[in-house]
Amino acid sequence: MKKIVHVLFVCLLAISLAACSNATKPSSPEKQKTADIPTKIDKPVTIEFWHAMTGNLEKTLQTMTQKFNDSQSNITVKLVNQGTYDDLNKKLMAAAKSHTSPVMAQAYEDWMQDYINNDLITDLTPYIQNKTVGWSDSELNDIVQVFRDENSWNNKFYGVPFNKSTEVLYYNTDMFNENNLKAPTTWAELGNAAQTLTKGNVIGMGFENAIGLNFPTWVQQAGGQFVDVDNKKVTFDSEEGKKALTFLNDMVNDKKIARLAGEDNYMSDPFSRGDVAMYIGSSAGISFVEAGAKGKINWATAPLPAGEKASTQFQGTNLVTFNSADDQQKLAAWEFMKFLASKDQTIYWAQNTGYVPVRESALKDPVWLKYIEENPKYAAAEKQFDAGYFFPHLDGAFAMKSAYSTEIQAVLVGKKSVDQGLQDAAKNTQDALDKANK
Amino acid sequence: MNDKPTMKKTMKAILYLIPALLIIGTFSFYPIIKSFFMSFYTDYDYFKDLVFARGLDNYTFIFQDPEFWKSIQNTMIFVIGVVPLSIIISLVIATFLNQKIKFRGLFRTIYFIPFVTSVVAVSIVWRWIFHSQYGVLNYALGFLGISPIKWLSDPDWAMPSLIILAIWKGLGYNIIIFLSGLQNIDKQYYLAARIDGAGAWERFKNITVPLLSSTTFFISIVSIINSFKVFDEVFALFGGQPGPAGSAETIVYYIYNKFYGEWNFGVASAAAYVLLFIIFIFTLIQLYVGKKKVNY
Amino acid sequence: MQKEALSKGFIYLLLILGSLLMLLPFIWMISTSLKAANEVMIMPPKWIPTDIQWGNYIKAWFSAPFAVYSVNSVIVLIASTIGELITTILAAYAFSRINFYGRDIIFSILLGTMMVPGEVLLIPNFVTLSNLGWIDHYQALIVPWLASVFSIFLLRQFFLSIPKELSFAAKIDGCSDFRFLWSVMVPLAKPALITIAILKAIGSWNAFMWPLIVTSSENMRTLPVGLIAFSTDTGTKYELLMAASSMIILPMIILYIVLQKYIIEGVARAGIKG
Repeated sequence: MKKIVHVLFVCLLAISLAACSNATKPSSPEKQKTADIPTKIDKPVTIEFWHAMTGNLEKTLQTMTQKFNDSQSNITVKLVNQGTYDDLNKKLMAAAKSHTSPVMAQAYEDWMQDYINNDLITDLTPYIQNKTVGWSDSELNDIVQVFRDENSWNNKFYGVPFNKSTEVLYYNTDMFNENNLKAPTTWAELGNAAQTLTKGNVIGMGFENAIGLNFPTWVQQAGGQFVDVDNKKVTFDSEEGKKALTFLNDMVNDKKIARLAGEDNYMSDPFSRGDVAMYIGSSAGISFVEAGAKGKINWATAPLPAGEKASTQFQGTNLVTFNSADDQQKLAAWEFMKFLASKDQTIYWAQNTGYVPVRESALKDPVWLKYIEENPKYAAAEKQFDAGYFFPHLDGAFAMKSAYSTEIQAVLVGKKSVDQGLQDAAKNTQDALDKANK
Repeated sequence: MNDKPTMKKTMKAILYLIPALLIIGTFSFYPIIKSFFMSFYTDYDYFKDLVFARGLDNYTFIFQDPEFWKSIQNTMIFVIGVVPLSIIISLVIATFLNQKIKFRGLFRTIYFIPFVTSVVAVSIVWRWIFHSQYGVLNYALGFLGISPIKWLSDPDWAMPSLIILAIWKGLGYNIIIFLSGLQNIDKQYYLAARIDGAGAWERFKNITVPLLSSTTFFISIVSIINSFKVFDEVFALFGGQPGPAGSAETIVYYIYNKFYGEWNFGVASAAAYVLLFIIFIFTLIQLYVGKKKVNY
Repeated sequence: MQKEALSKGFIYLLLILGSLLMLLPFIWMISTSLKAANEVMIMPPKWIPTDIQWGNYIKAWFSAPFAVYSVNSVIVLIASTIGELITTILAAYAFSRINFYGRDIIFSILLGTMMVPGEVLLIPNFVTLSNLGWIDHYQALIVPWLASVFSIFLLRQFFLSIPKELSFAAKIDGCSDFRFLWSVMVPLAKPALITIAILKAIGSWNAFMWPLIVTSSENMRTLPVGLIAFSTDTGTKYELLMAASSMIILPMIILYIVLQKYIIEGVARAGIKG
């Protein structure tokens, strides 16, 4: 046995010594491509679009793609479903590593951050600014501001918003009517409603397990700043941060008028069986609550209650183009992105999926107005566009998120005090930020 | 066969081994070696295969990372909690299923079913079994006067819940392997023992256990290796999170997060090698004990 | 004798209790597959649906091209199971019956490859397959799975427990190594081989991540990939997912029922005791 260990060790050492030559780092950054882009597609070009849309979402996307392909003489978009977002993430990583990236894909901002750092995705600014194929200023500014900001890094656009959702308050109208309550609009009202509604087996308020991840929402609602992007400083260990965490902790642990999804995984389950009177969750979940609650409870949605100010995080992916594509393919992808983000298509997409339209003009369009009048549950999300924010574009964003979300959860499951938890969360988040920006 | 290795035998053996070694070499050994190198990359471009600097930073990082130590601790608890119990229970059930009993085929099929049932179904049912309010486990414990336990939402109970699920899930697998091992025991031994008046327990202890030792040896090595690599069960039981407040984060979960989440390929590789090293030590101990105890 | 009957009763009791525990998720799965959407997540669970929804099965079947997926799954299962059995038999024989230079070291290294989590191997293997031009072809679904350390190890343990005197006898009869392996060792190891085949078949049949990653076109994908049609990031249509899952696992249960008699019967070993 000793022999085996010995030999193995020698083997590994030998191989490791044999492969130790360092590459030299490219000294100057790669030349910026000039804004010269082709504006015409002369030959037929086929592009692959990797996505994670399933079921009804996929069918809607297929219909829209078909419509686009029919309208084009030279462009064919081929949709490829790559499973869940997790699977898509892996597959995109594998493809990038083997230099077989698709022309187009859905991507979260976290991923885009890494893609940009590794020079994998295309700066779309030249396309947007192009006189022939681009957007006019008014067309560009028609995209909801928070989505524009989300997709720009150092004033360059790397993506086009696609399937966007936000958090809304779901509430059980039966219970609310019974207690003469209206949908809460402030923290105080939220606390009171939760207190009143908590009786017997019913708990007033529910939070998703991702509450830790959404902690920036609460800090900002309390009037605080989560992170100082310019100085790369985590700033939520503040009066406001403490106020936010104390508010949540009071409801969950002290008064026991709120709970986390915990063992139920998603709040939609306990909510639709009537165990919880209201909860905060993604607007993209409306159709699932609908299916689960059918015949059991009546319910509605409302914008998130506000603290000192309103704040709600936007979720969902954007469309990106990979650098490995050739100029013709990139142009084809740009045409398709433009199509998906056009007023008519973003309305069609929102109507059929429950995501929100990404253009201001779409929100004012009679077709959309009629739709939300008939389906008021879908109206809550767009009412809070002005309060929308996104997690800042920072290296190490993923690690920061897991750092603070673990600590905030630890407080809310009663394992740490508010002060301790907040302090640890801030320290670990700062560490993660520092490590990524060494 | 007390024969000595010779060149001729080695050539012959290589012929037998080539097909398997080619596949395993390409799809396991080669990537493993590659990630070994990667664990020393400190400044690199993963996608262009460029390395600018090497060093031990990744290893220093993980050893200073409390999250990594926590994940090692959780994994150790898991292995110690799962492996012995799982082997004992499945051995006993396999022995039962190998007796002359009625509906033997039916029983075997039933014990096989969890093995093919969809992971989603398994995880949902266990979430219900563990549910603090409606779960059947707390209901049963209620009869014993034990007040409801928050199996899945209390960080202190996350690991025990995970261990229970893993034992259950691994049973079918081990039972199938034990059953095939039991077939290898000559029935004559049992007949002879019966004639000598040995009871069921004695037969189990003196015939089954020793003659099954090579199968048990196999299962214990494989179980330990697989338990150290636990990941799917965590994902299934806690809905993609590593337990409440990270209380069930295992080493592979840590690796997965570093690799696919943070794109920290060097650190992920280093963590994978620390895991490999730990498993390697355990396997050496088992091989050593096995050489002395296993009965061929 | 009375004691014997008592212990038999005890065995039955334990087996039945255990069976219930084993069957629970399976029953939940079937019952959910027949429920309406608003009955799925009720707590405590409702085991018998108020209104049985056979339509779920039809809806599930047409949610993805399951017919194409089935053909692919069968091709991949047969090819990889047969291939693995061959490589396993050959390698296990070498490790158990031939004493060659470096045997223990090679075997340890093989064991070592089991110790690295598959999540780490995914990307490098994708790159290898991509360089071979195999992405989106059957080769990518089959070739990487044609050998398994686990199976080699399992069969080696079996071969080791077959008495060595046998091979001396065979040698005296002028039997070549290769013939001895196929005509004596392989039949003797039938329970182990069937076990390996079953484990392999199920592994291949249920594999999800790998087929998804190495294929891009609908007509190359396998059954489990079809299951993603029922989930989004905000929820899952459990009733359809369970209907599809039930359809997918049925062939495996049948396969087991058919093959289990080989595991149970074992092999008559009269006259060749160790």
